Amino acid sequence: MIARSLIRAALALSVAGLSLTDAGAETRHFAISWFAQATYSNDHDCSRGVHPEVEEIYLRYAAKLGATPQQIAEWRKKIMDGDEARDFYNLIMNRGRIDGKPVNPYTHPAAVVDLKMPGLDGKEGFGFDLDGKGPDQPGSFQDPETRQRGVDHNLYRALGCTRAFRGSLESRPTYWAWAWGQLKDSQPAWLITIEGADLNKDGPVSVAIDRAYEYLRSNSDGSPRLDMAYRVDPDPRSRNRFEGELRNGVVTITEHGKLRLLQNPLVSPEFKLSNVHLRLELKPDRTARGFIAGYTPWRPIYWGIAGVGFGGEQQVTGDVPGFYYLLKRYADADPDPITGQNESISATYYIEAVPAFVKPAESESQQVSRR
Amino acid sequence: MGKRRLIGVAMLAALAVTGVALLVTGTDHKISAGPAVTRRLTAEQYRNIVQDVFGADIDLGGRFEPDMRVDGLLAVGASQVSITAAGMEQYDAMGRAVAAQVVDQNHRDMLVPCKPASPAASDEKCAREFLSKVGRLLYRRPLTDKQLLAYVTAASEATRITGDFYRGLSLSLAGMLSSPSFLFVEQIVEPDPEHQGGFRLDDYSVASQLSFFLWNSAPDSMLLSAAAEGELHTRRGLERQVERMMASPRLEQGVRAFFVDQLRFDEFEVLAKDAALFPKFSAQAAADAREQTIKTVLDVVLTRNADYREIFTTRKTFLTPELGAIYQVPIYQDGPNGAPDQWQPYEFPDDDPRGGILTQVAFTALHSPAGRGSPTIRGKAVREIALCQTVPPPPADVSFTEFENNTAHGAATARERLAAHATVPSCAGCHKIIDPIGFALENFDGAGEFRTTENGSPIDASGEVDGIHYEDAGGLGQAIYNNPAAVSCVVDRMSARALGRTPMKEEREWLRTLKAEFEKSGHRLPALMREIALSDALYRVGQPKASPVTRLPPTEAIVTVELLSGASS
Repeated sequence: MIARSLIRAALALSVAGLSLTDAGAETRHFAISWFAQATYSNDHDCSRGVHPEVEEIYLRYAAKLGATPQQIAEWRKKIMDGDEARDFYNLIMNRGRIDGKPVNPYTHPAAVVDLKMPGLDGKEGFGFDLDGKGPDQPGSFQDPETRQRGVDHNLYRALGCTRAFRGSLESRPTYWAWAWGQLKDSQPAWLITIEGADLNKDGPVSVAIDRAYEYLRSNSDGSPRLDMAYRVDPDPRSRNRFEGELRNGVVTITEHGKLRLLQNPLVSPEFKLSNVHLRLELKPDRTARGFIAGYTPWRPIYWGIAGVGFGGEQQVTGDVPGFYYLLKRYADADPDPITGQNESISATYYIEAVPAFVKPAESESQQVSRR
Repeated sequence: MGKRRLIGVAMLAALAVTGVALLVTGTDHKISAGPAVTRRLTAEQYRNIVQDVFGADIDLGGRFEPDMRVDGLLAVGASQVSITAAGMEQYDAMGRAVAAQVVDQNHRDMLVPCKPASPAASDEKCAREFLSKVGRLLYRRPLTDKQLLAYVTAASEATRITGDFYRGLSLSLAGMLSSPSFLFVEQIVEPDPEHQGGFRLDDYSVASQLSFFLWNSAPDSMLLSAAAEGELHTRRGLERQVERMMASPRLEQGVRAFFVDQLRFDEFEVLAKDAALFPKFSAQAAADAREQTIKTVLDVVLTRNADYREIFTTRKTFLTPELGAIYQVPIYQDGPNGAPDQWQPYEFPDDDPRGGILTQVAFTALHSPAGRGSPTIRGKAVREIALCQTVPPPPADVSFTEFENNTAHGAATARERLAAHATVPSCAGCHKIIDPIGFALENFDGAGEFRTTENGSPIDASGEVDGIHYEDAGGLGQAIYNNPAAVSCVVDRMSARALGRTPMKEEREWLRTLKAEFEKSGHRLPALMREIALSDALYRVGQPKASPVTRLPPTEAIVTVELLSGASS
């Protein structure tokens, strides 16, 4: 049955007039079913401790804003007792200051005092040696799966000690679980197409990462549905092609270009990576999993987090303006020519994908997406 | 008052059923004919009638009494059920809800053919015009003067109490909708002038017999007019109406109703699958699977007017993207994203294991327990549904433990587990005739998805039915196609549906004729339906025990009192 499906897919491509690497080309399509920052949290990666609960951070802000020790003690007691502390929360909700006047801290993070919360200082993190500076580069990680050293993943350094961003591939970070939960049901699916002469053998492949018209379809238990059919959205803003190779069932990219995918503005209007690296394992059960990495602009990441506002800050993310300073501090690429501030940060994302049928954008009967 | 009223109505309904049965059942009549029956409207028929008379945008807002399957058909069970007090409450609620919508601001201009002199006062002329018009369609015959007077009087009285003409009208209409004359399809019989001493359905009962058979709904105005003119008791008049009805798009409604009933698709309402084992089998997938099979059947028997037996072998079907995932074939949306799934024609290639409705998700999933497949249940279903054969229930003390344990005694496949039954004499007799049928469908798991192994062991899908051996599901479909019982089965069930009861021994000759004509037509289902619709046997009834003219419609006894109680509440 699988073979038949593959043959059908290949036939569809042929009919569509697509150029294949050769007459016997094989294509596998996937729909990305999980996409989140790759984290590897453990007991030894935050030497100064994981950031405290958000209420404790609020109290620190209050102190910075001039609250007396007595006020702090009273507010702490009220918080502990679950009593109302309206004056405290009013202070916190407007803890930014511009010309001495309170402002919204989420839309004006630079107007909030920097608590200088620490980043992660562990040794292991997922990713690739993006800058090519080799295994001994200070601040780099060792990948826990490949054991490669010199891994650049400063997004993990920046956020890895905040509660909402701690987790592992199995125990997923709260923020990313929330964000992907929102994204997968509110934006068209992301598709991966691997094409090569014989995907059961080592050799060159091409990798396409596109956006679909359709949303990711889920099963009745919420798990991603296998073998759904998707159409590629021809919008050039979400069309990405890379040359790569397949070795021992793992696809990697050999030409590290740029990736751009439209995304739900709820998290970020676009997902962008430069110097793209990919490691995607094609599993015997027809699914795929792996990592995609590169440099991504850090400000959109902040605005995605900031969008949660005061309620989300309390319930999901923790101190939002604190992320602004962490991301800014750990950004490690694309310096602004005037200020010198790095505008991008090295990042690694973990991908899971399920087999799918994909109709190429070049096929007939494409229609414009309604939403 | 309310409770008394409902109980009263229910009792009258029950009496109506019993009364008719007593009145018309007879065995000493020289003409071979069965008894007249009184059928309760099925839920689908109720919906169809409301839609036909008042439009598709009327919400029913209630629940229906459960139907009962007798001799393989709910359509036969419908003549053996009554209405419980709780069920009557639901009909009452639905009747009031429908009636309120019919006269509301959005609908009254279209559905009420006249305007009252004053909306706050009664207008008997207008009320009479409306109630006589809808009463004829709902009762499937013109209201008697007495009935019409009762409803008009009730509307006027309710208007006086409520100060609102339309409210009064709606309460009178609500009474009509909860009347036994609407809820039950009564067969009124009369002496048959062409067979001395015999009886037949009266004109309007013929109209209903035809309409519920061919359209699964009440007669339309043209059919009632033909009944009024006495045309339906002439060969030419009957043919004219049958041809008109067969040419109507509403024929699909009738054919659909037959197959939903015959394939037991009402059981989808209680179908559940273990989401952990069969995650693709969503509620949408179940609904689509049901519709897929119906669409497949309609394509064979109506659109292509092909040999009925092709439903067991055809590779042509229709799929949605939701089903495409289960069948593992690409079914792409055609419209904008977010739009509902669309049906697309699909033909399985010759080397595909899918072919015929028995291999479709609807059949394999419906006839499987929640967590696994079952050759026994599927084999039994094939015998009962496709061949109309009866398989006795298992012994009361049988233990299923061995079978439910997936790997008992190292048995990996259902075939190996069921081999245990072959050693138990009380089980072996039945399993011998049903399991080999079901084995052919073992390549489809409990939710109908294709598989080649079970618990890691390869599946052997070979089997046998009535001495015909085959290697896989395709072979099973072909064996059913070639089985004469499949032809007898659809003839028997279709005629039972038309009659509203199981054909009697005395009607065997008629069935033999139907079958012969069906075969002569190349097993074209519309030809069979036409043959049945034009048969005298459909309209002849056995001798009643008492004169039909002495019975009275039950409506009048309740209408005035009941409507007024509703008006003042």
